[in-house]
Parts: sequence; C-alpha cells; structure tokens
Amino acid sequence: MKLARIAFRNIRRNRRRSLLSGTAIMIATLFITFAFSLIAGMLGDIESNIVRYVSGHVRIRHVEYDENEQLNPLHLSVSEYEEVVRQMESEEEVAAAVPRTRFFTAIYRNGRTYAGMGLGVDFPREASVMRIQDAIEEGRLPQMGQREMVLSAGLAEELDLEVGERLTLLTKNKYLGMSGMTFTVTGIVRFLVAGFNESFFLVPIDTTARFLKMSDEATEVLVVLNDSKRVDEFAEKATGILAAMGRKNLSAQPWTRIGASVGWMQLARSAYDVIALVFFILASTVIVNTTMMVIFERMREIGTVAAMGMTPREIVRLFFLEALYIGAIAAFVGVLLGIGITIPLSKVGIDLTQPMQGVDLEINPVVYPRLNIRSTVFVFFYSTIIASLASFIPSRRAAKIEPVEALRSV
Amino acid sequence: MNRILPLIFTFGLLAALSVSAITAEEIVKNVERNEINEAERIDGSMIISDRFGSRTKTFISYASGSDKMLLEFTNPEERGQKILRLEDEIYLYFPEAEEVIHLQGSALKESVMGSDFSYEDMTGEGDLLDQYEVTLLGEESIEGRKHYHLELKARKRGLAYPKQEAWIDAETWVMTRANAYSLSGRLLKEMELGDIRVVAGKYVPHYIIMRDAMKKKSSTEMRIEAIDLVAKLPPDIFSLEELTW
Amino acid sequence: MGFIVSLAWKNLSRYKRRTLITACALAFGIIMFLWLDGMLQGIERESERNIIWYETGSAKLMTTEYQEDLKSMPLKHCIEDPQSLEQALTGAGVTTTRRTVFAGEIFYGEGSLYVKVIAVDPETDGEIYRLSDTLAQGRYLEAGEQGVVIGEWLAQDLGIAVGEEITIRTRTRYGAFQTIELIVVGVLNSPNPMINKGTAYIPLSLADEALEMEGAVTEITLLFPEWQDPELKVQELQGRLSAFPGITVQSWKDLARDFLMFAQMKSAGSSILLILVFVIAAVGISNTMLMAVYERVREIGMMRAMGMGDGAIRAAFLFEAGGIGLIGTLSGIVLGLVLNWYMVNYGMDFSAIMGQMDIGYRVTGIFRSAWHPQAFVGGLIFGIVAAMVFSLIPSSRALKMQITECLRYE
Repeated sequence: MKLARIAFRNIRRNRRRSLLSGTAIMIATLFITFAFSLIAGMLGDIESNIVRYVSGHVRIRHVEYDENEQLNPLHLSVSEYEEVVRQMESEEEVAAAVPRTRFFTAIYRNGRTYAGMGLGVDFPREASVMRIQDAIEEGRLPQMGQREMVLSAGLAEELDLEVGERLTLLTKNKYLGMSGMTFTVTGIVRFLVAGFNESFFLVPIDTTARFLKMSDEATEVLVVLNDSKRVDEFAEKATGILAAMGRKNLSAQPWTRIGASVGWMQLARSAYDVIALVFFILASTVIVNTTMMVIFERMREIGTVAAMGMTPREIVRLFFLEALYIGAIAAFVGVLLGIGITIPLSKVGIDLTQPMQGVDLEINPVVYPRLNIRSTVFVFFYSTIIASLASFIPSRRAAKIEPVEALRSV
Repeated sequence: MNRILPLIFTFGLLAALSVSAITAEEIVKNVERNEINEAERIDGSMIISDRFGSRTKTFISYASGSDKMLLEFTNPEERGQKILRLEDEIYLYFPEAEEVIHLQGSALKESVMGSDFSYEDMTGEGDLLDQYEVTLLGEESIEGRKHYHLELKARKRGLAYPKQEAWIDAETWVMTRANAYSLSGRLLKEMELGDIRVVAGKYVPHYIIMRDAMKKKSSTEMRIEAIDLVAKLPPDIFSLEELTW
Repeated sequence: MGFIVSLAWKNLSRYKRRTLITACALAFGIIMFLWLDGMLQGIERESERNIIWYETGSAKLMTTEYQEDLKSMPLKHCIEDPQSLEQALTGAGVTTTRRTVFAGEIFYGEGSLYVKVIAVDPETDGEIYRLSDTLAQGRYLEAGEQGVVIGEWLAQDLGIAVGEEITIRTRTRYGAFQTIELIVVGVLNSPNPMINKGTAYIPLSLADEALEMEGAVTEITLLFPEWQDPELKVQELQGRLSAFPGITVQSWKDLARDFLMFAQMKSAGSSILLILVFVIAAVGISNTMLMAVYERVREIGMMRAMGMGDGAIRAAFLFEAGGIGLIGTLSGIVLGLVLNWYMVNYGMDFSAIMGQMDIGYRVTGIFRSAWHPQAFVGGLIFGIVAAMVFSLIPSSRALKMQITECLRYE
C-alpha cells in the first residue's frame, strides 16, 4: 500500500478535520511571519537611526580624537575633508559620505548664556543621510557659507526664539582662543528620534570652520554604505584607502564597534529575540496541539486499520505523512499570506500614534515591517517540521494500543 | 599689564607689616604708585598651554587708573576681538558677532581665552584690605633679593580665593610670587612675575606666568613686548562705541 | 440543573485526554500571553525605572530659580530650610531624602574630568534610590565619611580603583574655590549610562561643610508608589506646599524630558505584538475546542434521541467547556503568576546573551518584567469565555441537524 496515497486520501476524506488543523497551522505561521517582520522592522529602525544620526556605517576620525572626545579637541580633526569625502563617494559600495563637525558652545541671548551642542554639516549632502529637510517644522534650511542655522524645537522653546531672529554663539576655537559669531535662525527642526539631544543646532560646515578657525577641517566624516552588511569589510578597505592617501592619522571604524548605541542595539535585539521566542513557543503549541487532537480523535480509525493488518510502524508513518502534508501546505499558505500582509505595510508603515504610557514625547513612531529569510523561509520549514514531529507522540501511543481498545475508544 | 592679572594679588596687603617702621598705608601707596598709571599702553603676547600644546596670542591693551581697560587681539586667529572692562563690567566684541556680549554673573567665572585667568580675576571687587586680613609671615630671600612673605585670609564669604600668599620684593614693591588656595587650603594657582624693568620711574614686570597647580601642563604666560606709561590715549577709548569700532 | 452539572463533570473526567489537551492549550496560551505582556510592560517600565530609581525619584522639590537654571546647577539658589518642607509633607504618603547637586572637576593622577557630584544622605537615600544595589566594587557610602562612590565608566576613563584617593575641585555656595579630598569606597554600574559615565556620590554632611551650605540643600527627592499618577500627585503636593511660594514640585516626567534612550524599544509596536499573541492563543483555544466538540456530534445525537432537550444539551456542553476553561485558565494564571514573579524579581540576565559587545564599557543586562494585574484578570475572563463560546459553535450546529444525521456523523 502506498502510504502516501492513503495519507492524501485521508486528508481529503476528513475534510473538516484537515481544514481545522490546517487553518490553525496556517494562522499560526502567518502570525509568526508577520511578527518577525515587525520585529525586524523595529530593529532596523534603531539601526537606521544610529547610522543616520550618530555614526554612519563607517566613521572616519583622527586616531586620537576618541580618547579625548570629552574635551572636544578640534585640533584632532580630519583635515582637507573635502578630499576624503570625494574619495569615499567615488567608491562603489558607498551610498553617501558626509563631513560633520561637533562643537560645544555657549549661546548668548538676552544677557544670559546657555549651553548648546552644535553640529556643522554639509546640508546638500545630508539630504540623503540625516534628511534634515524632512525634519523641518518651520522655515528653511540654512545656505552653505552663510551665518545661518536651524535649531532643535527644544532649544527654540528654551530660548524663546522664532525663525528670523538672531543669536550669538561663543565658543573656544581650535587655537584655544575665543570666537563669537552671530547667526540668523532660518528654521526649526524636530527629529523623530528619541534620545536625540534636545539642545542642538545645525550650522553649515564651512561657516563652522570659519567660526572655529578650522580651515577645511571636520571632526569626522561619516560613510553610509549601500549594503549594510558589508560594514566591517568596508571599514578595512577605507583604512587602506586612507593610508594610500597618506592620511596616517585617520582611522575608519565600523559602527558596530562604536559607542554605547551599539550596546543598546544589542540589548534591543536580545529583547526582541526573547519576544520572538514567545511567539515561537506559542505557535508551536498551537500546531502540536492541533495535530495531536486530530490523531487522538481518530483512535477508532487507528484500531480499524490496525485490525486490518497495518503495522504500528506504518501507522506512525502514515500519520506522519498526513501531518507533513497538511503542515507543509498550511505553512506555505501561511507564509504567503504573511508576505502578502507585510509587503504593503512595509511601504506604508504602521502608524502607531498611540502615545506611550506616560511620557509625551510627541513622537509618532511609524514602523515599517521588513521581510527577511528568518521571517519567511525559516518559519515555513519550522512550522512544517513541528507539525510533522507533533504527530509522533499521539500516533505512537495510538499505534501501540490493542486494536480492540482503540476500536472501543470514542 | 598688571591690570589684567588678578588684582587681588597685587594690592596693598601690607597693613599688618610689623617689621619695618613704615606703615601699611604708606606701603600700599608705594605699591599703588608703582602700579597704577594715568594712562598706559602695552603691546604684549599671551601663551596658553594645555596638554595638547601651546598657542600664542598677541594683543594691544590700554588702561587708565585701576578700573578701565581695553584689550584688542592682534594675532591672526583672534584679530579684531576686543575685551572692555569698565569697573566690574566686562564687554566682549567679536568682528563676526552683531552684538556686544555683556558678561555678568556666573559667566564671569569663565576663563579668558581658555587661559588660567577668569574674567572674574580681571574685575577688581572693591578694596582688598576690606576683603582680606593680612599677616606678615616673615622675610625670605628669592633669587638673592629680600622679599616679604604675606598671608591673606578672606574676611568675608564669596571671595573666589579664600586664602592667598604673596611674596613682595622689599625694594621694588613688586609682587614676585603669589599662590592662591581653595577653602580647604589646597594650592590652586601659582603665579610668578619676572623680567622687572624700570619704565618711566616705575618697576614693571615684563613676564608673568600663571599655572594651574592641579593640572600638570596647564599654564598661561604673558609678556610685555612694549610698554608706554605716559601714552596719550584717544578720548573715549573706554566706551562701548569704541569697542565696536 | 444538578443533573446537567454532574453530566458535564462526568464528561470532563471521562474524556481525560481531551480535557487535558484542551486545558493545556488554554493554559499555555495564557501563560505565554502573560509572559509577553509582563515583559513588554517591563520594557516600558525599564526606562521609566531607569530614571526614577537612579536619577529623579518620583518627583523633586527645588526653588523656582534653581529649576529655571537647572543645567548650571546653581548652588546659590538652594533650599534654605529643608526641614520645614519635609514637615509640611508628613502624611502626604511620600518618602523624602535630601540631596545637593553641584558641578565639579575630578582630579586623579594626570587626568581630570568634569562630573556631576551628588551629595546624598546615606541613611535615607536608599529609601528612594536604588544605587546601593548597583555596586560593582567596594561598598556604598557611610554617613560622614570622606568617601566617594563613582560610576564604573568614569572609573574606567580615569583609571581609578577602590581605595584610591581623588580630589574634586568646585566652588562653594558663595563662590569660593574649594577642593575636597576623597577616598573611593565604591564603584557602581547601574542601568543608567549617564550615571555610570559622569556622576560621583559623596555624603551630604561632607558637602554641607565643604560647600558652606549651612544646612541648605539644592533639592529634596520624593518617592510615591509607581501606580500613582505623577501629574495628579504633584498637584496635590504643590497644594500642600502653598505656604512656600518659592518652591516648585517637578515630577520625573518634567525632569526627564531630555532623556529617554529606550523609547524606541518600548515603542508602541508592543501593543501590536501583544495583539498577535492574543490572536494566536485564541486560535489555539478555538481550534481544540472546535475539534473536541465536533467529535462528539454523535454523542449529541444520542442524547437528543434519548429525549434530552436542546437547551439542556447546550447547557451541558457549556458547563463542560466552562469547566475546561476554568481548569486551563486557572493553571495558566497560576503558572503565569509564578513565571511573572520570577521575572519581576530576578529577571533574565542578558549579559550572557549579549556576549561580546565592544563598546568598551560593561553594561548590566538584567531585564525584569512588571506586574500588570489587568492582564491577569483579562486572561482569566477571556480564557473561560473563549472556551465556552468555542464550544457553543459546533454544539449549536449539531443541534440544528437532524438527529439521524448526528448519529451518523463522522
């Protein structure tokens, strides 16, 4: 007897049962796929924020800058940054390269001084990296070379400033002397990233250089890659390029080795892994449960078939095949549906405007679920296997019972 | 030049001098006579050093009496920047700033140009004999010259340096050395003056170095390249209008 | 009625395996739901606790001038008479502790760093803050000693170990320069990076003397239970302190505006995940219930044939389902309780999972859940209701069929 054919016939015969079991497996699989995609999306968000706002994929700095970072050492800079940026841009793996200069200043307004953190940026180049144009709440971006700036909303509030007004910055320049410069506020920005320093402002990097007496220098150059997985590889390549350019005092670090944000990323990932585990266990339970029930309900059938001469081994294998087929089909459909739901949502995003418990950060996080191997192929195989394996326990138990017993149990 | 230094160090602290027959007031007058000028113009340089290295700045300063001073930087990086002191007020001018910065309150505690001097150090806060109780600890010889070693203890609260020590050259009435201490008695700053030359009948130290005693490589040095004690100063030079010119 | 109940009960014990499997499905679904809910609540709480347990307490009292200039930590705007404030708050249901915060420079060896120094009362601080739980080396402060406890990252930056001497340079309340010699008695590693990186703790009495405070402090921290709404409580407290117009009460939310690094992790995506788990659990339960009842259609037919009324049959199945629901739900809740209790008090140690994280600093990765009574109640209700509802569907269907069809049902 071809067990496979019998298995198929059984499935078709007990339509209701197969449907119930299959549906359960399908829904469980569907949800796991979706949940994993959601999680991947959230993690991707965190990573994307680190890359865009903090360090890029690879960060180029003066070798001694990091250890002295607290003192904001402007003389430990990337000199002739334009050259470095252009060189990086010309590499095929690179999506964008931007220079940035961080500096601390005192903001002088109405007779008082306030602390502020400034970032000198190349606004045109940042269109694809920091995407400041998307964060503008009021006004416009500064023009390069001009004494113009955009402020964070928090700072604007603290200083009671509006677009069009001016304020003066005081800072320690590269030569340990003081510098003062008046800027016109051309716009107010709000970045939807939690943890972003509330008191910051953005200034054109060439104006910054003039202000800080740094000629053609930046404190760092960030590189964003096309393929986020080749980070370590490119960091090495970049180091080589820099050496070839004669820039021995510069180093290129992959973002995975920089600072605390990586730590939180890891923490987030671990947390989500645990959540994923919960889903797994639950979905598995559903699948196992269903499969087991199906078999236990068919005790009489098992008895009949055993009485007719089928060996326990064949019985087990029969049910295994049944579970396998139902599982495979259901899992396949489930994954397909999961993909079907995820793809449009990945474009549109899920707008979670539900304010977070307690703290009102005025953030509307939009999550873009994303598909990956884990959420699709892996889930498919896992569901199928679990369904098939789940058949063993009940079928083995059932097969061992005396046919008479089985026939009697209803 | 001394106008820029913590004036607290340099004034008539000698009231309690018991060694010589000369009275405290007369000593104070001697020191002040040597120190304060009707008009003064200095061409000088300042060298600021920290663990990363040294930076030199050059300047021209004008002073009148003990409460008016205008300083303008002439080195390339800070050229055009000015500091104006009118009694207890400090004003800063920067060529690329469209307003004059008026420093008050806690801003005065900031250091001038990242040096070891703060703006506070630059503003005299009233009569020193009022603020400090002075004791003569004795006589010491520094580089072969007789010096009076004085100890100053703050009479009231709120003075930046609760305790100081000074060594005054007995002949020239120039303070050669000074130390400033924290409330608990720890040495914070050390200052030395040297290269004393006679200019228009007065003894003028042409070199000063101030060190942060707690940070190994942090110091500020000042040199007088040229000094004119009888300069004819332009009228209204110590004014806000002049500052922005 | 009694007959129906005993019928239901007898059925429960007769079909032990079925009952067990279904109850298990139910229990498992509930356990997973509670576990995930607890964890998600924990994530949300974590960042809140991070702030409340280590930085702000539930709220702080300070002078209005101090609050306006918060970032500069102006000692001169201190609270002159903390005692009268504390007295005014007796009976308000808050715990209080006094603190004085000031900026200082730590000197050790060749290096120095600007830090925030917090002078605490070692005897009462622990009632509000959990810093003493986070000691990595050495011990916590003792009242009146010349000791200091610093964050681990700070210790690492300066190369300081327990037992070494450091000096803090600062200015007193009246502006005089002051130096404080201290011995490091402890090093702490808390979940709060700002503390690890830039804070030092000294005894309040020491600061009182060194800074010429004369009994004044810069803030009084308050603690009230987590479940109380901070905004409301603050209003109440402000009312009690109406006799002190110069004092303002700031809730931890007001104080933590700038800081929330975990916000992304705990973002609203968690509610979606919870819904997904809920649905999967529901699918599992429904599936087994459906299957269980469908298998007994013939039984229903026999009961009808023997003259039992429709209402009675429905009731019997309902009770049976209710019974299963109760068993499953209760075990689920109990086990969920145990699991949650463990997670709340011991949590999961992520440090092992996180493995090599090259950020240069050690990060404590113990993650704890939070109690969410609503979830337990909801789970209980849902479990029983779902079981009953899902048994109604097939049994109603069976009741609609012809009796003979029922008997023939396969």
